[in-house]
Amino acid sequence: MDKKKKSLSQKTARIRGWIQAAATLLTNIHIPNLFKGKIYQGKAKTVCVPGLNCYSCPAATGACPIGAFQAVVGSSKFKFTYYITGFFILLGVLLGRFICGFLCPFGWFQDLLHKIPGKKFSTARLKPLRYLKYIILVVFVILLPMLMTNSIGMGDPFFCKYICPQGVLEGAIPLSIGNPAIRSALGKLFSFKCLILITVIVLSILFYRPFCKWICPLGAIYSLFNKVSLLSIRVDGSKCVGCNQCVKACKMDVDVCKTPNHPECIRCGACIKACPKDAIHYQFLGGACQQKEDSRKPQSTDNN
Amino acid sequence: MKTKKTFIPIVTLCAALFLTACTGKGAATTEKPQDSQTEASTEATGDSSTTLDDLYQQENQIFADHEDVWNKVFGMMNKSTADPSGNYADFLASTVESNKDAFTKDELNTLTTDIETIRKIEEQIAEIEKKDTTSESADANDNSGSTSPFRNFSGQDYDGNTVDESLFSGNAVTVINFWFTGCKPCVAELSKLNELNDAIKSMGGEVIGINTETFDGNETAIKEAAAVLESQGAKYRNLSIDASSDAGKYASDIMAFPTTILVDRNGNIVGDPMLGGIDNQDNYDTLMKQIQSVIDADSANK
Repeated sequence: MDKKKKSLSQKTARIRGWIQAAATLLTNIHIPNLFKGKIYQGKAKTVCVPGLNCYSCPAATGACPIGAFQAVVGSSKFKFTYYITGFFILLGVLLGRFICGFLCPFGWFQDLLHKIPGKKFSTARLKPLRYLKYIILVVFVILLPMLMTNSIGMGDPFFCKYICPQGVLEGAIPLSIGNPAIRSALGKLFSFKCLILITVIVLSILFYRPFCKWICPLGAIYSLFNKVSLLSIRVDGSKCVGCNQCVKACKMDVDVCKTPNHPECIRCGACIKACPKDAIHYQFLGGACQQKEDSRKPQSTDNN
Repeated sequence: MKTKKTFIPIVTLCAALFLTACTGKGAATTEKPQDSQTEASTEATGDSSTTLDDLYQQENQIFADHEDVWNKVFGMMNKSTADPSGNYADFLASTVESNKDAFTKDELNTLTTDIETIRKIEEQIAEIEKKDTTSESADANDNSGSTSPFRNFSGQDYDGNTVDESLFSGNAVTVINFWFTGCKPCVAELSKLNELNDAIKSMGGEVIGINTETFDGNETAIKEAAAVLESQGAKYRNLSIDASSDAGKYASDIMAFPTTILVDRNGNIVGDPMLGGIDNQDNYDTLMKQIQSVIDADSANK
């Protein structure tokens, strides 16, 4: 009856909730501002945070990469933003959608909502909706801010302005509570976006992470890097017995055995926890290292 | 089991989050008493104005009751001798006195008794008006008590001419619009602000633009701002101020653009800042109303 020691991957997957909480706290470090109805406007605001976290949140540490991208692309001075594109590529290559699963505050928000007990529905039949987020990325984040401009070449941040529920949750609501001038400026657009937020909240209780799956342009960007990102998930073929427990456990509707690095995988580690044979694990720097690991791994586990 | 262990803290965190949300609402409700206070004070002034109306009504009733005689009196009045600041009852009495012969004894009696009642009513009116003005001046004192960031003002227009707080003293109201070059809604209202400036010029008002990118006389930023202003046909004055000045700090604290404020002759900010562009007709109307009230208050003080 020897107890198997948990692998690092399993440990990581188990403390995911804590990592999400810590990441949310770090991306929203100026908590006292929440009660003042002011936003932090210091130097750190020129840096992007990895997750979807509104710049206008009173507590926000940095800028939302999606918001910043639209702001630069839509400004009259610049046609394209190399800094933020580079930021996307860097984070995408390093972590991919691990950011969605572990670092994104809005992802955590949806995770928490999904824990509210009640009837849960599968999204497996709604797979075509996944492509909606790429359309939103291209149309609302890139094309409209770039092309729908005024006489001197300034565009609106269309995604932030007309869609983003995180902006209402973190920006508009706390700011309007703490700041009477902003409260008086709320109008129809705010009501419309509140409706979007409420829809996302209700859907998040019924489905797992509907916003991430169908809407989020940031998730869409990171998903493009999932196949090549240095952090990846590997299924050890020699250990896998084909029980398909991982597929059942996956809430993002990924066939883990066939495509462990599917664009939809948010690296939440549900499959790692579910695998009865410990055949699935995270790995950093794949390819060449993977072979060595394979030859070493069985020995080391035997020694344990 | 272990997953359950992680669940519990998550649920507590969740609860904590809900609690913070509640305190947020608490903050909103603590603000409410202030609102009701201002409401209460307007109600109080409302009361005094209704009693004033009542008193005037009583006087009119007296004139109406003895319409024939009073119309005779009014016919004898010489408009040019009417002195609004003097006692109305005395004025009436003197009119009656100088035309004594025109009235019968009965008529004179009614007139004198009426004048005495009017004298009493006038005293009450004077008392209420006195109260109102003292409370008004108290308000004014309150305003001057808090230091306005525009009391000691200095800046430069884009041609390099220096401006100080005399900028404000020359006009009944100065509309200050805070904007920055990369702000689309700000740029969208520039032409409307120019219209506003033309509209209020004759009323004793001026629109001033402060671009937060042009602080400390930043020349490239000023050039860009000037180009944007020209492209939108905005000809009103725009000023560059020092970021370290009181006005500069006030502007740096603004987090939503465009923000527009009203400043009176003494450099005091009047009312709440307005967020959002006046290319929205509702905003334009609200701002215009506020401008009008500042101008009215200014002419009342003269």
